[in-house]
Amino acid sequence: MPGKWDWLKDELRASGMASAAPLVLRFIGGRLRGPDNLVKCALCPNMCRHACPVGIVDGRETTSPAGKARVALFLRQGRLQATRENASPLYACLSCDACSVWCPFGFSVADLLRPVKEKTAGGVGFKEFREVFENLEKHGYVYGEPKPSDSGSRTGDLLYLRGCTLREKHPDMSGKAERVFQHLGYRSFTIDETCCGMPAYNLGNTSLFRKLARKQAEKIGSSGARTIVASCPSCVYAYRVLYPKYGVEVKPEVYHVAEFLEDRLKGLKGEGSVVVHNPCKLAVGLGKPQVIWKILSSVEGLTVKEPRRSGRETFCCGHGGSAVPRLNPELARRIAMERGVELTEEAEIIVTACPTCKQAFQSNGFKALDVVELVHILLGGEQCSR
Amino acid sequence: MTSRGADVKPGCAIPPAALERLKGLLGERFSTVDADLLSYSHDYWPISLRWVLKGSFPWLPSAVAWPENSFEVQEIVKIAYGNNVPVYAFGGGSGVLGGAVPEKGGIVVDLKRMRSIRLNEEDMVAEAEAGVNGYYLEKYLNSKGYTLGHIPQSLYVSTVGGWVATKATGQFSTKYGGIEDMVLGLEAVLPWGSNVIMKPHPRTSTGPDLRSLFIGSEGVFGIVTRAWLKTCLLPEERILLSYVSETFQDALESVRRVLRRGARPAVVRVYDETETKRHFYMFEEAYGRVVTVIIVEGDSKIAGAERRIVEEEFRGRMLGEEPVKHWLETRFMVKEASEFTPLGVVFDTIEVSVSWSRATSLYRRLVEAVRTVKGTLFVSAHASHFYPQGVCFYFTFAGVPKGDPEKYYNEVWSVAMKTTVENGGSISHHHGVGRQRRSWLKEELEAGFELLKKVKTAVDDKGLMNPGNMGL
Repeated sequence: MPGKWDWLKDELRASGMASAAPLVLRFIGGRLRGPDNLVKCALCPNMCRHACPVGIVDGRETTSPAGKARVALFLRQGRLQATRENASPLYACLSCDACSVWCPFGFSVADLLRPVKEKTAGGVGFKEFREVFENLEKHGYVYGEPKPSDSGSRTGDLLYLRGCTLREKHPDMSGKAERVFQHLGYRSFTIDETCCGMPAYNLGNTSLFRKLARKQAEKIGSSGARTIVASCPSCVYAYRVLYPKYGVEVKPEVYHVAEFLEDRLKGLKGEGSVVVHNPCKLAVGLGKPQVIWKILSSVEGLTVKEPRRSGRETFCCGHGGSAVPRLNPELARRIAMERGVELTEEAEIIVTACPTCKQAFQSNGFKALDVVELVHILLGGEQCSR
Repeated sequence: MTSRGADVKPGCAIPPAALERLKGLLGERFSTVDADLLSYSHDYWPISLRWVLKGSFPWLPSAVAWPENSFEVQEIVKIAYGNNVPVYAFGGGSGVLGGAVPEKGGIVVDLKRMRSIRLNEEDMVAEAEAGVNGYYLEKYLNSKGYTLGHIPQSLYVSTVGGWVATKATGQFSTKYGGIEDMVLGLEAVLPWGSNVIMKPHPRTSTGPDLRSLFIGSEGVFGIVTRAWLKTCLLPEERILLSYVSETFQDALESVRRVLRRGARPAVVRVYDETETKRHFYMFEEAYGRVVTVIIVEGDSKIAGAERRIVEEEFRGRMLGEEPVKHWLETRFMVKEASEFTPLGVVFDTIEVSVSWSRATSLYRRLVEAVRTVKGTLFVSAHASHFYPQGVCFYFTFAGVPKGDPEKYYNEVWSVAMKTTVENGGSISHHHGVGRQRRSWLKEELEAGFELLKKVKTAVDDKGLMNPGNMGL
């Protein structure tokens, strides 16, 4: 079979231009990597714009996916001064990686921007982020000092990593998860966990991320757990995808709670309709776009709906990536509303599998349940409330 | 160094009182921040991509506005009109001819915050604000059982307003038509700030069609803020067909025969030998020959009849569904500019239309003409849109000039436009005119260009709407 670039080699030969295009020949011969990825993204017409919640809802070229790459390029080139105003677009990113699903090169814009955030823009310069970094440094907890009531069973055979948002915003979910695990024959326990580091990573403070990753990995390791389940897909993404890139190992593998429940739940019965919201880090980051749907579809009597944008083509709740809700809460709210309205066209109750998504929808007046909560209800627990 | 970069010139100054009024009107949705100004100093015109690469821009807007409704657009335009400030409408920025570049400074009005959609299923009409994203609209319609049938390669990027303003067309146009066939009604803001609504009727006979003033106007007569668009039922059946022919002419002739019998496949694309090698290299039996991909779709009975016509008329070897599936999978893979521009390659596409009687000679002569330009690496084409009367050729060229890349680029364009006019073609099929083609519009329109200039002066008496675009 002819090769991908044979046509061009033929054309160069026919035109007698082969010697005039040495870079092209080296590139198509695989001997030249070509431009760096940020440049490629900056020269793209925004072929992922339609998938980017910020791109769609904010509607600005400056905060569109390729637009952010251009701003990063101009900052890197020194063509733009690294002022707060000029650097802010780099933080108008939910780190949902929806762009990567559509990118002809498979790029994540968040990944392309990160080095510029670190070196040029300096995420630590934003006062809105300073408190986050201080909290993480001092308490290993994104919200400050953990509440004294923050405790659970300390012994068992399944380590349940709750994550900062569940601990702070939905502490009752810990007990519900414990009862669901119990139903499946596991005795779950918790530890005095440290933040996985994702907020620092998202905000461009990778040195702090590394520090937190090492600390958390050590705590997980010393727990002796043989089964580890986490509530938050972003945390799982950190443990499974990011930690290894930074030389940090977490063993055994951490499962997201939806992955853990997927093949274990049997014989559940329910009624009514629910609509699935796939968290971006579960659907795109961990490549598990069908897991919530599969769990819910196994429940006899429950009608499960999917929104227009579903599967890997999900649409972030607006509160991912740590930066947008802090720098531009109004944009985060508008994205949550956009998604919430789309979801509730299908059913009143949104079922997701991420404490942050649940929080985003609930705080904007939608009824949202984590899949664990729904299972807890189906097992005889209390009903859903806003 | 200024914060904008050393090479950046400031745009036209907006008087302080006008700036205050605009800030008062729009708040955070009005900006003079450098990052925003740079972001709106280019579109997808290859020349402007070189500006992005260098971080150096000859033209900057003075401000950017993001209105959320037609009233706000009217207010912005009124303020601009009262203060002699140029105004540029901006959609997805995917235009490839510099039509959205703020050449004279002034206010860029980005319409992407205007994105409401309403579907009237009984009338089969979608009402969409100008900033609605193309894919978003199509996805919405699909979820209700409808399609617009307008699927340009820029679908993911472009907006309804941009489609209307550039008189766009899509990959499925042979069945569904161009945007001009879909627009039933329009709302636009005029250069002095009033708005006008051309109501959506199935058909009217009420004097000259005022919609035509805005379809393809590229922002020079006002700002399109809303469109009422015809919709179709989602196709019940989609049939994928492909052929390999020995020559480009054989394949074109086959398509002509299909269309004259009244069949309307949604997609027909005929690739010349070079482009067949480029896009279908994995189909060995087609390498160096001519591949045609065809999609017939719609009601299954109608589609079945159209399929039979295609099969009766097409003279070539059937290749099956795989080449069409390959095309469907790769049709939005826009990578070339990103990969090759930084390597010093000048790369672009030129689309022209021509009647059947002159099609083959125009194709051959244009390819020959571009090859004569020193530095050209290759030139190739596919026929991308078809009509019973003729065809659109979509040429691709690349070169590595020794001297100024822009000079080479303009030279290729110049020979291509000259050859098109001399061979009875139209200089643009669907990309529009913008700033790259403006010097050739007079050649194309002849006396009509003077008429167009008079219309421009009458409608935009101060010459503030996208000044310089289309040579107006």
